[in-house]
Amino acid sequence: MHEVETPTEPSDLELLAQAQAGAMEAFETLVERHRDRVFGLALRMTRSEADAAEITQETFLAAYQHLADFRGEAAFGSWVHRIAANHSLMRLRHRRVVKAAENELTGPEFNERGSYVEYPQGDWSRRADEKALDAELGEAIRRASDLLSEDYRQVFLLKDVEGLSYEEIAGITGDSVPAIKSRLHRARLALREAIDEFYKK
Amino acid sequence: MFSCKKSVDALLDYLDGQMSAEEEKHLQEHLSACPPCVDFLRTYKATPSLCKRALAAKMPSELGQKLTDFLRSKAKKTSP
Repeated sequence: MHEVETPTEPSDLELLAQAQAGAMEAFETLVERHRDRVFGLALRMTRSEADAAEITQETFLAAYQHLADFRGEAAFGSWVHRIAANHSLMRLRHRRVVKAAENELTGPEFNERGSYVEYPQGDWSRRADEKALDAELGEAIRRASDLLSEDYRQVFLLKDVEGLSYEEIAGITGDSVPAIKSRLHRARLALREAIDEFYKK
Repeated sequence: MFSCKKSVDALLDYLDGQMSAEEEKHLQEHLSACPPCVDFLRTYKATPSLCKRALAAKMPSELGQKLTDFLRSKAKKTSP
């Protein structure tokens, strides 16, 4: 299939300028472009579709209300994702009181000499590049992500899924960069383990 | 030379390019002698992009419509 050029499609920056000048349709196009990722982040963070829908509303309303302040140094996408991350975290903090029991993190086990107790399941990294993601594997990853305790899941989602920098995450969560890195590493190990288990079958 | 455990613990800094030259040398030495750790490194590195694909979500269309209605109702009351 050919790559079809669509020169008529306005960029986010152009839409933003139109929205700032008061064009609601331009803002709605921006919302349509970014709502799946905002919703996805909120859904993975809160594990609740109802919360995710509300966070998505709050996020785009906040973006709309602050349109005039947005100077466009950063991409519109990263701006709304940061807003969504903030709103998701606020909601989780309110929910802390009723937080479910947390699970132990999984990862490789080592003996006293620092060698693997059980060797990892070979190299599946090439298979991971395959175009279509195996449905069962996708399900296994979502389950493993949901099982991570909140602090770990947040960091993993913000860094590895949303692509925020350590400093940006520190700004949102209030944690130190070393603490964020340590959680990210543990979360990656747990998720890698879940994928390893899948390929073992 | 690093143990397997030490090598695994160093992977985040290694992939971020945040290791000292000395530590990186120890890790490289270990990797050149330990195929399981090479596999581990490759699969650790592949994990984020695989998860990113698995965790992508689409907003259900009725929620998308609700979102549009919500923003329109708010926009009538306030302008940016």
